[in-house]
Amino acid sequence: MKYIMVTNNPKVYEKYNDKLNVDYKQQTYKQVLIRTRDMIHSGHKLLTHPLSGSVKPNETVFKTIIVSEQQNTLDLDSLRIIEQSLETAKKFGVNQHLMTEDLLNDFGLVDLSLIESVIIKLENSL
Amino acid sequence: MAKFKVVHYINQFYAGIGGEEKADHMPEAIKGAVGPGLAFQAAFGEQAEIVATIVCGDSFYNENMEKARETILGMVKQCSPDLFVAGPAFNAGRYGVACGDIASSVQNSLGVKALSGMYLENPGVDLYKKSIYLIETKNSAVDMRNAIKKMVSLGLKLLKSEEILTPQEEGYLKRGFRKNYFADKRGSHRAIDMLIQKMKKDPFTTEFAMPTFDRVNPNPAIKDMSQTKIAIVTSGGIVPKGNPDHIESSSASKYGKYDISKFRDLTDQDHETAHGGYDPTFANLDSDRVIPVDVLRDMEKEGRIGELFNFFYATTGNGTSVANAKAFAAEIAKDLISNDVQAVILTST
Amino acid sequence: MRLELRDILIKNIQFGDVSEIKNHTLYVNRQDIESLVMEDEHIKEVLIDIARPGEEVRITPVKDVIEPRVKIDSDTGMFPGVISKVRTVGTGKTNVLKGSAVVTSGRIVGFQEGIIDMTGEGAKYTPFSETNNLVLVCHCHDQIKAQDHEKSVRLAGIKVANFIGELSIGLEPDQVAVYETLPLLQNILKYPDLPKVAYVQMLQSQGLLHDTHVYGVDAKNIIPTILYPTELMDGAIMSGNCVSACDKNTTYHHQNNCVVHDLYKKHGTEINFVGVIITNENVYLADKERSSDWTAKLAEFLGVDGVIISQEGFGNPDTDLIMNCKKIEEKGIDTVIITDEYAGRDGASQPLADADEKANAVVTGGNANELVILKPMKKVMGHMEFIDKIAGGFNGNVAEDGTITIELQAIIGATNEIGFNKLSARDY
Repeated sequence: MKYIMVTNNPKVYEKYNDKLNVDYKQQTYKQVLIRTRDMIHSGHKLLTHPLSGSVKPNETVFKTIIVSEQQNTLDLDSLRIIEQSLETAKKFGVNQHLMTEDLLNDFGLVDLSLIESVIIKLENSL
Repeated sequence: MAKFKVVHYINQFYAGIGGEEKADHMPEAIKGAVGPGLAFQAAFGEQAEIVATIVCGDSFYNENMEKARETILGMVKQCSPDLFVAGPAFNAGRYGVACGDIASSVQNSLGVKALSGMYLENPGVDLYKKSIYLIETKNSAVDMRNAIKKMVSLGLKLLKSEEILTPQEEGYLKRGFRKNYFADKRGSHRAIDMLIQKMKKDPFTTEFAMPTFDRVNPNPAIKDMSQTKIAIVTSGGIVPKGNPDHIESSSASKYGKYDISKFRDLTDQDHETAHGGYDPTFANLDSDRVIPVDVLRDMEKEGRIGELFNFFYATTGNGTSVANAKAFAAEIAKDLISNDVQAVILTST
Repeated sequence: MRLELRDILIKNIQFGDVSEIKNHTLYVNRQDIESLVMEDEHIKEVLIDIARPGEEVRITPVKDVIEPRVKIDSDTGMFPGVISKVRTVGTGKTNVLKGSAVVTSGRIVGFQEGIIDMTGEGAKYTPFSETNNLVLVCHCHDQIKAQDHEKSVRLAGIKVANFIGELSIGLEPDQVAVYETLPLLQNILKYPDLPKVAYVQMLQSQGLLHDTHVYGVDAKNIIPTILYPTELMDGAIMSGNCVSACDKNTTYHHQNNCVVHDLYKKHGTEINFVGVIITNENVYLADKERSSDWTAKLAEFLGVDGVIISQEGFGNPDTDLIMNCKKIEEKGIDTVIITDEYAGRDGASQPLADADEKANAVVTGGNANELVILKPMKKVMGHMEFIDKIAGGFNGNVAEDGTITIELQAIIGATNEIGFNKLSARDY
């Protein structure tokens, strides 16, 4: 299946940009969710859960979400999940912690790891 | 021990001033207890004294909210009470909103503990249950004695800063807060007990009720719009200029049915909104922004829709109770069907 | 499958010249532990300490908690597929050092939380304030990859727990309990009139620091399957989960799974407990679809009347939980789900990230956002980096005297979703 990775995580960009469709932009966690929602509105289907990982939306700054490259009619399940995820992210508020290099590295690493396991599966399916 | 001082808020009806015709009664402070206040005083006994009763007409409060609020806050401040009690309002919508608004304002602005009482479906409940305690009452004044008993008991607890127990124990309406507590048994044990009850079809109580929505399954899509008669129904408050039916700006008790057979386009000369819950400027300038009569007329002309029904229906959704809304909808639906309307455009604001 | 759990009650823990158990006291020789942990080339240093109930001690950040156990008279061993050969466990006899635990700590990534306070307000919320804990603070070499780091600390805990468990070989138990589950058809014949119940256990399986291992297999690569309940008691499921301290299941939780134990208590009298279905909580939505289809299919295949579904973690798993619940209910099988809530500090927000009206029977482990005040402790095992700098910024704050105001989510096991605690939440 062809897909797009919506991300603000430079580690994901570095690892996959050469071979896959990576929609990378420096933006906030919430902006990644909003960008994904807009894509769902225009017919892309959600392939991974927007709240992947137990790290809370006000802790990590990185987020990677995969959607289908193909656009079809609006997928209601995708819409429901992204809207609920946005609600949850809003509830947690904004990250106010000053990030150290070290911490950014760790958050980026975990986000990358969560998505790596999915890429392996996607590459194995049509 | 000195008695606690209480100020009581009631409407024109309970003060014995009059009914709907006196609903524009301006705020007035009366010394001592009045009307239901006498029963409150009896229940407070020696522990607290109603030093003043503030009376305000329901229409006055709802239509001049800021002014009413400011005036009454001044009156309450002069009495420097320890507790502010409003109502009970039972199922009276505008009275409920007034009680809720003034009680939460007193609590927030003056730092005086406040409470009220109302029926679950009173529109004041959803607006104010998070800011103040609302004792749950039945839907009419038949429940007065019982309501006063619970309001006094909770009021005394607030006065003495005692721990407020659960909604079930104290009789107040759930405020919508989740709070932790230690149960008697661990979670797995509670889950298995619940499952056994569920399998037996016995009643059980979930620890968290999923949010419920009144879902309506959509009808199949209309195949040929060019043969379809369409009507407009709105909760955006659009009415002929002057609001001939006096549809309330909030907590509506009625809806209107208005002829648009002569209109191709709505303008500020002929239509406006009665809605009090949003900035009306753009709706008043051009009511097509809320109900798209102009566009539908064009489509009618182009043959893209069969016809636009000659009447539209309107109410204000602002604080209107679900029960009222359902009742309006049932009547409107019946009327639509008897007029062979096949599709409806619903607009809200 | 029949398992005899032989509890040896541990009421105290001390360092000693010889590692041994005498008079309900666990004596630990530091050298024994150190040489075992240092076998791993990734580990640079291990600090070994003891934390007893009631002591003014804070352990943080906690990675895992393991209960020392050993299989006796058996050719199988604890934690199959990881430190014992990969044979099916859950039969025979197992010694349990009840009242003791091995707690691992150490900085794997910078945002780990997980507090165990042995006394005070925080102690009320974690079960591990009541165990006699051997604490291992592991430091790895600087350039180590996070994946290797997690694995080294995880295995250190498992190895030490196993070593301590082995000290009980030859000891007489203080109490013995027998748990038995018959093969399905025999089980159903034995209690034909009782409602048949299964347990659906959801395992965290999203990736680095979010993993669980089943007989050594990464749970994100399993499809739902069936276990005898006693397999869990012998370490069939191991935690590799380091995030969301309040609602992650430690290995201790898996070994002592309370849903399993409480179902056994009513087995044969009120219900017929037929077995455990394990499933995962993957990031890929297609995996969720498949796994929830399979739990429903297996529940139907087992012919059960009801299931308990337990969750692990925050956010993403809410969707798995609701999918499992919905699909199993659609098979005509009654469900009760166990979850926890993120309702905001004031409790006014929508607590779950997903919802469905079919989930009409819910048990909650409480609101993880609710604040708790933790007084400073005399001694900290591990390090306060996260609490001082990070958890303070995210989820609470630290006062000048060291008092922490923090959300419950920082405390290990506080809002556990297999229902390990008495904590719950209700409407106000």
